[in-house]
Amino acid sequence: MGLRRADKASVFWLLFPFFGLWLFFWLVPLFFGVDLALQNPGYSPEHRDSIERVNKDSVFHFNWLNPPTIEIEETESIKYVGLENFSRVLSDDKFYKALKNTSFYVFGSIMFILPLGFALSLALFQLSRMSRGFLVFCLLIPSLALPSVLSTLFYLFFHGRTGALNQYFVIPLGFAPVNWMMDPLFIMPSLIMQSVWRWTGLVTLFFLCGLEAIPRWQWEVVKLEGVGFWMRIRKIFLPNLWHLVLFAVVFLVVDGFASFSGAYNLLGGSGGIMDAGLLLVTYVYQVAFPGGSGRFDFPGAAAMSLLIVPITAFILFIILQTRHRWSLR
Amino acid sequence: MKRFFSTVTLSGAVLVCLYPFIWMFFSSFKTNREIYQPTLLIPENFELDSYLSLFSDQYLPFMSYFLNSAFISILQAVLAVMVTAAAGFVFAKHSFRGKSLIFAIAILVILIPKQALVVPLFDWMLWLGLQGSSWSLILPGIASGLGIVFFTQVFKKVPNELLELAKVEGFSVHGTFFLLLPLAVPALVTYGLLHFILSWQEHLLPLLLLDDDHITLPIALAKLRDSSHRIPESVGMAAATLTLLPVVVLFGICFRKMKTALVHLALS
Repeated sequence: MGLRRADKASVFWLLFPFFGLWLFFWLVPLFFGVDLALQNPGYSPEHRDSIERVNKDSVFHFNWLNPPTIEIEETESIKYVGLENFSRVLSDDKFYKALKNTSFYVFGSIMFILPLGFALSLALFQLSRMSRGFLVFCLLIPSLALPSVLSTLFYLFFHGRTGALNQYFVIPLGFAPVNWMMDPLFIMPSLIMQSVWRWTGLVTLFFLCGLEAIPRWQWEVVKLEGVGFWMRIRKIFLPNLWHLVLFAVVFLVVDGFASFSGAYNLLGGSGGIMDAGLLLVTYVYQVAFPGGSGRFDFPGAAAMSLLIVPITAFILFIILQTRHRWSLR
Repeated sequence: MKRFFSTVTLSGAVLVCLYPFIWMFFSSFKTNREIYQPTLLIPENFELDSYLSLFSDQYLPFMSYFLNSAFISILQAVLAVMVTAAAGFVFAKHSFRGKSLIFAIAILVILIPKQALVVPLFDWMLWLGLQGSSWSLILPGIASGLGIVFFTQVFKKVPNELLELAKVEGFSVHGTFFLLLPLAVPALVTYGLLHFILSWQEHLLPLLLLDDDHITLPIALAKLRDSSHRIPESVGMAAATLTLLPVVVLFGICFRKMKTALVHLALS
């Protein structure tokens, strides 16, 4: 559509709020981050003094819940160290550990959530409209709760020998009770379990809406031709639901890489035993606001968060490349 | 037969999803000793102490934290809906120079989440003097890439004839936008709720950006749990129940609209 002059102005004003906020609260912090990542971690003596003072003030250990406000004073001794912070992060074993854990967490949860959500939405589709709505709303409730609530429940409910999970499932099946939160082998599975529990309902809702949107004639064709289960998936579900699947995957990848609250509450800000549950954002937070060790490494943390960006961008790029694969044939 | 299997599967799933929350609700009336037996569901006596202690600010000013959280999330959701719906409308129905650039920006916002920018954002907020206030959380939360993508899809479904008609009637572009808004109410409500819930659940940003007076619920809950040696567990459970209840009610009221919007969006 061609635009008149007055319309150009009104298009501008419709776009301006988004663009302005983007510029001010996304692009500027990004530049701040790049700038910060190039600086010497110990660039300003005054800065360090104030941090050490704050550290001493907190009684025995750094207060995880209220990191004290630090006044950063402008000094002229800011020193740029080039890419040193990046190489420091890249040679940090813990960073790789966190990266590995986070990837495991993201892919693990997607692998469970998508099939489970699909199966549940198919099951819901068999039922009447009334009970469908009610049941899917029930499934949605874990995604409405605060992650910290989920973790608290998880902790008290699944923790230790007396936890419900052990009492109801593990022991009756004849296994030794699992210490879910203390055994390094089981920390990641329990984090994934929490994520599956949290998001499956939402994904089920998306898929159910997708199923309801499939045109009636396609079902009629299936009924007439009597096609098998796999054919049905390939010819009807995948083409119709592909966009929703992609949306769900993008949402889960972004949320997974940014996830913090669940693990933070479950493990109290640490990475758990042997850092088996250390996630990227938790580690960034640990480096920026360390507990006790006093190494307030803002530049290191900034470098690390910038290194996460190409990784998520690459994964999402790959995912979006498949966008047209199944779309309506 | 198929129906029977579906019902059984779904009952199992619903039980898994709901039981912990039912247990949480009953646990808010329990004593510590009862809570440490997770297989016990119904307490012997229903004690209201935990709720009373929250309402009377005995351990921390819970109600004011609740209001902080509500203020931040509601304002952020409303503003985000307004801002991203306007931009999404323009993307869906108008072409202009630099359009693909701005759309790429919206995608970039999705790719680089706020959580990855939290350290420089903290610095930037210090510099702006906003660090500590609720606005340090509200303002960066408004420009949401997900919202742009969502509303672009929504407005693409609006028939072009409607726009032509509005043009003939002499409506300007933004006039047309306001004209179309009532049509898009289910979509507006849906995205508003999604944004609301994401902001209601946000933990890392408020942890760093807010000062003690503006703390939000996720941090308040972590606080209650952190000092759980002194505070009875039932208080944490009561607080958790109180954070969940309003959200469930809100979603329950709007659920039908939400489903309409999502089905409409899935129609190809």
